[in-house]
Amino acid sequence: MEEKFEPKIIAFLCKWCSSAGSDLAGVSRMKYPPNVVPITVMCSGSISTNYILSAFKDGADGVLVSGCHPGDCHYIKGNYYARRRITLVKELLEFIGIEPERFQMSWVSAAEGAKYTEIIKDFVKELEPLGPQNKLRSNL
Amino acid sequence: MVKPDDIKKECKSILEEGKVKYIVGYKRNNNSYMSIPAFIEKIEETDQLIWDPTCVYNLVRFIRDEKLRKERHKNPDTRPIGVIVKGCDSRAINVLLQEKFIKREDVYIIGVACEKSGVIEKKKLRKKFNEKNIKQIEFGKDNNFIIATEKGKTTISAEEILAERCIECNNNTPVIYDVLLGEKVERSLSEHFRSLEKFESISTEEKWNFWKKELDKCIRCYACRSVCPMCYCDECVADSISLAVKPDTTAEEKAQKIRWVEKSPVSSENFSYHLIRALHLAGRCIDCGECERVCPVDIPLRYLNKKMEKEASEQFGYTAGLDPEKPALVSDFKDDDPQDFII
Repeated sequence: MEEKFEPKIIAFLCKWCSSAGSDLAGVSRMKYPPNVVPITVMCSGSISTNYILSAFKDGADGVLVSGCHPGDCHYIKGNYYARRRITLVKELLEFIGIEPERFQMSWVSAAEGAKYTEIIKDFVKELEPLGPQNKLRSNL
Repeated sequence: MVKPDDIKKECKSILEEGKVKYIVGYKRNNNSYMSIPAFIEKIEETDQLIWDPTCVYNLVRFIRDEKLRKERHKNPDTRPIGVIVKGCDSRAINVLLQEKFIKREDVYIIGVACEKSGVIEKKKLRKKFNEKNIKQIEFGKDNNFIIATEKGKTTISAEEILAERCIECNNNTPVIYDVLLGEKVERSLSEHFRSLEKFESISTEEKWNFWKKELDKCIRCYACRSVCPMCYCDECVADSISLAVKPDTTAEEKAQKIRWVEKSPVSSENFSYHLIRALHLAGRCIDCGECERVCPVDIPLRYLNKKMEKEASEQFGYTAGLDPEKPALVSDFKDDDPQDFII
């Protein structure tokens, strides 16, 4: 029997909003696909571009970066910096021929557990037809 | 067009006054039609200086070398060094000033305006001429280049062998200088990102195939990093050889050093290296084209940097190296930065 492709998503969630949002989804017993591996970071602005590239290199099929809504950042402006940096990464990945669906960014607040589950559901749905990500996967 | 004699005269007077330690400029290479960098310390050496379309090098890199040399010296000569810069190179100085890597008094900038011309691209020249026959290339009148071969002189329209970056250049006049040679000539360009157009119409898969083919060639010689005026970090994220090992660095620390990029020149590591490099140069690259020129396997690295430049300009209205007082691209933000892609 052929196994169904299950995409693996690495989600970088900021501690103050998105991670709390995913927690809320958990404690509220909302259902969402188990394909996501959350990594809590202190702020979306602290996500180095190296994290994203090495996630792809280590076999992630999709990468999600999530932070607080603009204006809500615990560190006042970290998510604004993140927005600029992620824009550049997204454009560059698209430019070298990585499917744009594979890399996404979202704003999820601590109260938006439902939104978080929706984002993951949609993300998995978008990744399924693309198949495994082998372009940047380490071939050492 | 600036005459070499003007440059010689200016450099002579600067050295006579003792304003600078030495001047970095261009001189003739006896074995080739290409110029080479020249380090002029004595007044009588200024006669070697030239200015022609083969002055492609970005001499700003030598400011970094000088800074390191100064740091090693016990009693360094604190006078500035003179650097001959084109419009693009002057923006590199601005970026270094912006990042507080150098101080304004460390350099004496001799700006040379390209006016309506620019420098040649070897690849284009090779297609038209047999390189071995070329003796010298000079600026001609009316935007022409005069190519002297053994058989005689040929005049060729500048656009035919002008470097792609010069055709797309907006800063033909240096933006920062102590002394400016040549005239400020306005040139209006609408095709600032012309070379990227061919990528707009192709599919994701074609883009991938293109870059896969190009980046798989990379042998990781790091020539692009060595020549880049912006790559001045003591320790590069891309290669753990340069890990700053001190006497008290333990074996454990060395082993635990994160290696974002492995040294092997395989596809995934090449992509990591070049993507990291492009991202680190975003908002800093001034398109001097040196990385592409030195690449031994001819990877079109300029496109990656140009793409970042395009996004910085179109999405954030930022151009590198115009104002050393402004914050850098990634250390600044606006409330209304585009965020359509964010869910």
